[in-house]
Amino acid sequence: MNRRTFFMFMSPSLLVMLALMVFPLLTSIWLSTQYMTFRNINTPEFVGLANYLEVFEDRKFWQAFTFTMTFIAIAVPAQISVGFLIAVLLDQVSSRIRGIYIAAFLMPFIVVPVVGTLMVKQLFESGGIVAWAYRALLGSRFIFTEQSVKSLILVHSLWAATPFPLIVFFAGLQTLPDELIEASMIDGATRLRQVRHIMIPHLRSLFVFVGLISIMDAYRVFDSVFVLTEQNPIYKAEVMMLYTFRTAMSVQRLGKANAMSVITVVMILVVLVPFLLRTYKEQTEER
Amino acid sequence: MKRIENRYVLTVIYALLTIYALFSVIPFFWTTIQSFKTPRQANSRVPLFIFEPTADNYTDLWLKTIPDDPLLVAAVLVAIFGLLAFVGMQARRFPFPRGYVYLGILAVGFAVLWSIPGYVRTQTFYDYFLNTVIVTFGTICISISIGCLAGYGLARYSGIAGVIILVTALGFRSLPGMAYILPYWWFGQRSGLYDTHILLIITLVAINQPFTIWMLRSFFMNIPKEIEESAMVDGANRLTAFLSVIIPIMWPGIISTALFTLLLAYSDFLLVRILTQSNWTLTVAISKYAAGEDPGHITLAAAAAVSAAVPIIIVVFIFQSQLVKGLTSGAVKG
Repeated sequence: MNRRTFFMFMSPSLLVMLALMVFPLLTSIWLSTQYMTFRNINTPEFVGLANYLEVFEDRKFWQAFTFTMTFIAIAVPAQISVGFLIAVLLDQVSSRIRGIYIAAFLMPFIVVPVVGTLMVKQLFESGGIVAWAYRALLGSRFIFTEQSVKSLILVHSLWAATPFPLIVFFAGLQTLPDELIEASMIDGATRLRQVRHIMIPHLRSLFVFVGLISIMDAYRVFDSVFVLTEQNPIYKAEVMMLYTFRTAMSVQRLGKANAMSVITVVMILVVLVPFLLRTYKEQTEER
Repeated sequence: MKRIENRYVLTVIYALLTIYALFSVIPFFWTTIQSFKTPRQANSRVPLFIFEPTADNYTDLWLKTIPDDPLLVAAVLVAIFGLLAFVGMQARRFPFPRGYVYLGILAVGFAVLWSIPGYVRTQTFYDYFLNTVIVTFGTICISISIGCLAGYGLARYSGIAGVIILVTALGFRSLPGMAYILPYWWFGQRSGLYDTHILLIITLVAINQPFTIWMLRSFFMNIPKEIEESAMVDGANRLTAFLSVIIPIMWPGIISTALFTLLLAYSDFLLVRILTQSNWTLTVAISKYAAGEDPGHITLAAAAAVSAAVPIIIVVFIFQSQLVKGLTSGAVKG
């Protein structure tokens, strides 16, 4: 196919992406230099970098930033290690039973995030089954506090996001040649050593891939936090996306909110650029 | 052999897998149970597993008044949609092209869905359901049409421009949606498109376009070049060859991609929440049930959650083989 035909086929899609992804991103940068509330949507006022300075001095922004980073630091390793463990165990089970387990594991992955969060929350509501077990075991009522809501966000992320690494690792283990395992068994390697010296090196590139995607997903987490905190600031469990959302829609400081989202974009580029370079190299080699 | 044969170790493995499987499904199981209880039963100190089920939560959620003969209405609806599904499955037996059969089914299905409020007094929740149908369907149609053209181009063109477009698109897709959605909100306010289906559809198409072209491209790459080349030797130009030879054998890939687009459009929350005032989709509507002071909110929230999950579970169940194909071909390549 020559270049001209290629661009003819590409043009509708390319136009949509230019008009509704590239252009809005530039608009966002422009809006971040404006003072704008719901009252002066049509007549924004240029304020230079004032919005950025305000964001950097905003205590709540740093609070949200710290919580987001803590969330990533705990949730991503937990998802990956649980996912890997379950994938390795699943690999040992006969293939007839696997299907049932996989169907169960994929349920949280397929359901709409907001619905999944509501369902997890149901367990902890008064009269919920986990709230009951909590009272039976610990003797006190389960109440929504800063600590418990934050733990709930983590538990939900483990529930909802682990199926992704699990399935990717499981698919990766299927490509592991049987001879490698057999040879190592003849050499007298234990199961744990096989995991350490054969499986983990075999899955190395998948670990990087899953890690990058999981970090970016954890960074953008919004739906579950929105539902679990009910937008109530007393839980101090706001992540960056939620704080940006509230700044734009409740506090009505659109310029400032755009400044925050530009800051978020710049921070996510740190993870994104290596990922994109890797994809670029792969694709040019495959070509 | 590769597998473990020690019985005790195997027991431990099954135990761990079962615990994790229970962890995955308990929220579904419990929410479904709660949705059939009265608020009083749902709030009981000890969880009830045996109780007299009630459908009140669902009727409260969907209907303003219960029709005089609810069973008849339900039976008629089940009969209509059952018949449509049956015709769909038998489509290849008709003497004319299958596409017309599917179009006819869609037209009848939409007509029935939109005529229901004329016969039964429905709640606003039903309107949100209809909004979801329009937005999801519109997004799939536009996204797949322009995505197929682009995906085909990307699969057949070997220049560096193709790779650059793919990687850039992936980069844009990976940025937080907020960076696009706040400007969309501003465009919407200025152009008067705020709170309309059109704005939701075009923005959802744009946001999911990178994913769509990646996935369709990987399907097109599996189709040998010789197929359209032989058609082009016979005198067809590339576009006709694409439409008349390639698309008919691409249906499995198109259905797979459409399914993922459906899941993405159906579950989008942030974009719809910001770009609408009252024309919500189901996802946004049910988030309103998360909080509440009155004791009835738990069971109502449970019924809302189950109602929103059921359509997706049905779709996934019907198309599960295509879904697996999509997961293994597109996502698990890295």
